[in-house]
Amino acid sequence: MTPGWLLLLAGAGLAAGIFSAFKSPRLWLVTTLIGAGAAFAAAVLMLASGVTWDWRPGFVIGGEALHLQLDGLSAFFLVLLSVLGGAGTLYSSEYWSDKAHPDSAPAGRAWWNALLLNMGCVLLCANGLHFLIVWEIFTVCAYFLITRERQRPATRAAGWLYLASSHVAMIFLFAFFALLAARTGSWELGPMRGHPELAPLFWLALIGFGLKAGIFPMHIWLPSAHANAPSHVSAILSGMAIKMGIYGLVRFTGWLPVPPSAGWVVAALGVTSAVLGVAFALGQHDLKRLLAYHSVENIGIILIGLGFAMIAVSHGNAAWGQLALAGGLLHVWNHGLFKALLFLGAGSVLHATGTREMSRLGGLWRAMPWTASLFALGATAIAGLPPLNGFVSEWLVYLGLFDAVSGRGHAAIAAIVAAMALGVTGALALACFVKVCGVVFLGLPRHEIAPHVHECGWRMRLPMLVIGVACVVIGLAPILFWPALATAAAAWQPELANSIPPAPLVTLGAFHLALAALVILAAAFLWRRVRRNGLSRAGTWDCGYAAPTARMQYTAGSFAGIITGWFDWILRPQRHEQPPGGNFPARAGFEEHTPETVLEKIIEPAGSLVLRLSLAVRHLQHGRVQSYIFYLLLGLAALAILAVMGGAK
Amino acid sequence: MNLLIGLAMGLNLVALASSRLPSVIRAAAFQGMILGTLPWLLEEDFHWMVVAVGLGTVMVKGFIIPNLLRRALRAANIDREVEPLLGFVPSLLLGAMATVGAAALPNELPLLHGHAQTLLVPGAFATVVCGFILLIARTKAISQVCGYLILENGIYLFGLLLINTTPLLVEAGILLDLTVAIFVIGIIVDRIQREFDTLDTRKLNTLRE
Repeated sequence: MTPGWLLLLAGAGLAAGIFSAFKSPRLWLVTTLIGAGAAFAAAVLMLASGVTWDWRPGFVIGGEALHLQLDGLSAFFLVLLSVLGGAGTLYSSEYWSDKAHPDSAPAGRAWWNALLLNMGCVLLCANGLHFLIVWEIFTVCAYFLITRERQRPATRAAGWLYLASSHVAMIFLFAFFALLAARTGSWELGPMRGHPELAPLFWLALIGFGLKAGIFPMHIWLPSAHANAPSHVSAILSGMAIKMGIYGLVRFTGWLPVPPSAGWVVAALGVTSAVLGVAFALGQHDLKRLLAYHSVENIGIILIGLGFAMIAVSHGNAAWGQLALAGGLLHVWNHGLFKALLFLGAGSVLHATGTREMSRLGGLWRAMPWTASLFALGATAIAGLPPLNGFVSEWLVYLGLFDAVSGRGHAAIAAIVAAMALGVTGALALACFVKVCGVVFLGLPRHEIAPHVHECGWRMRLPMLVIGVACVVIGLAPILFWPALATAAAAWQPELANSIPPAPLVTLGAFHLALAALVILAAAFLWRRVRRNGLSRAGTWDCGYAAPTARMQYTAGSFAGIITGWFDWILRPQRHEQPPGGNFPARAGFEEHTPETVLEKIIEPAGSLVLRLSLAVRHLQHGRVQSYIFYLLLGLAALAILAVMGGAK
Repeated sequence: MNLLIGLAMGLNLVALASSRLPSVIRAAAFQGMILGTLPWLLEEDFHWMVVAVGLGTVMVKGFIIPNLLRRALRAANIDREVEPLLGFVPSLLLGAMATVGAAALPNELPLLHGHAQTLLVPGAFATVVCGFILLIARTKAISQVCGYLILENGIYLFGLLLINTTPLLVEAGILLDLTVAIFVIGIIVDRIQREFDTLDTRKLNTLRE
């Protein structure tokens, strides 16, 4: 089958899913999975053959002829979309079942399919007007998915914030596409590198797509939306929806000329997002909020890759640009995979315990071994540890940066800074995930959470397992994925096409295989020793204190305390302390809360200022006829003065 | 003619300064009568239509409208006080400033030579502004009607500039509109008074949204 027929099948499957979502969950599950599978096949077919699928059926929608296109870049993102879409579909059939959520589940399924369908259409559209239309629909679908639990005020607030920021982004995208169409005379999209007058439009695209991607400081909507959405929705939001912003940036930096400073700005935003994203993540106590901030961090890593690729292109030096771009693009896949895995794992924890608050969890690995191991796998991957996929893409970005360092000029200095920031980010991410895994899964339960904590069923476990395997495969055999990366890079910039995998990647693959073998050997050895000698359990040494309780374990806040202390200047945590006093202290308390600084210290004050000014203006409308006449007179006088002054000229 | 217009400008100030409604009405009426006679002076050749319109203006503005207003005043049992929002002295000062400003204004405007010589344009400006001040600075519906009347007088004065080109029928039409408007306001004032026991426009603001 050709990609065209497969895509048609995918569209038909997802559309059929929308209609069967209300009546028959089983039919919905089957059609949606078929749709996702067909989309996956079409994308893989395209990436393997390298032939762009281009379709102009001659339909006219909204005055513009329909034009769909599946090139290397769209196919690259479509692979991720179909994998995460399929996994989320199966996961949600148990996680957000009709039994548990009779009111919101059927509509949730319909919105889910609409979201997948429209994200797919965004990837395929090659007409500015249609791009805007499907982009807007996908944004709105995501809103309805985020607000599934709308009886909770926090969810409503998160949904509102998401909708508001999405529409700010939409305004910029409207401006971007409208100006593009005005300057080129057509809504048709495609490579237009030969029009240098289009370069300033890049800034509009950066804000429009950047708000969607959650680049710091435009990430304000992201933490609350990801935390309050159902977990499969968080997974697709973090894994795919914010990548649509990246897709937009990559797509249009590839098709349109960019200003000379664009690469620097993107790289700087990437460094900021990466470091501050992980710093904010360290300050969080809410499991899903923490994961959301890691999305900001990983978007930063992707942008470092993209930014240095842009710098390389503008310097005419394709060699390290290709590595940086490949790293950035591969990190799109990798982050999509391991972040979805982590969100699905967090959903499984939430499903079992009913809380996202890390300080109430603990010791879950006994009850949920599958979730705990898969979550740990995802954590290892996101922390960028070999032999998993996170290390592969970060390694590629590092390679690009190191190659840039060996060159000369500003790029070398910037690359040193970026490489250092990337290293700091990786270390902090590792600390953060040690904290999460340690606090949530190890130790003893801190609270008597519902006694029926249980492992999730196979429909939640299987998607996590599939994604986990994908993470491992990319980690162990990165060479297999190089052709896809090369095809995508060629769609971005034809001169970056290079079908021969770089030597370090080959070495890395071999190293990872060896490391994995070593790990398995070590595990087997330990297992044998345990089997032979048995385990003995003993209490933790407690400085001679006679009555330790589970509450005395390290909490999430205390574990990260030192590191968050370094970032106090931006995190601005609010602490309420009641230290124990006297010889026989009675009560003591400590409470810490890390606010969303950008939102609460900048956006909200600005918003309330605008509101106050608007309310002041509203006082003009009071119903006193005399004053209305006075306004009239003032207006007339102003007009008269204008006229007289204009006449004097 | 300049004398008459000057008189009309003086009457503006009288209307601004007087504290009792009947005298405001009287000032507006007297001003209307003076202005009604102006077409007779402006038109060189005698025409019966001009005479008729002038006569009509004098009748309507000098007698019919004031009588309507006085009847409304009586029927609605309104206090004769004006109740200013802005004191008499400040409003008088503003009026005087407007008059002086209006006198200086023609130098700034590209006027026909014949028009620049007369007080027609300054008079019209001063009257319009004083009408506005009266509208803005007084609270009672009746005094607002008077402000409206004076405003209209100013516009009428402007209209006189074009007397040679404007068909008199239009003038007559404007006059008719004005009469009907005052008539309607008179009725409304009466109804409002019966319904709400007040004619203070400051209290009639619940329908603002």
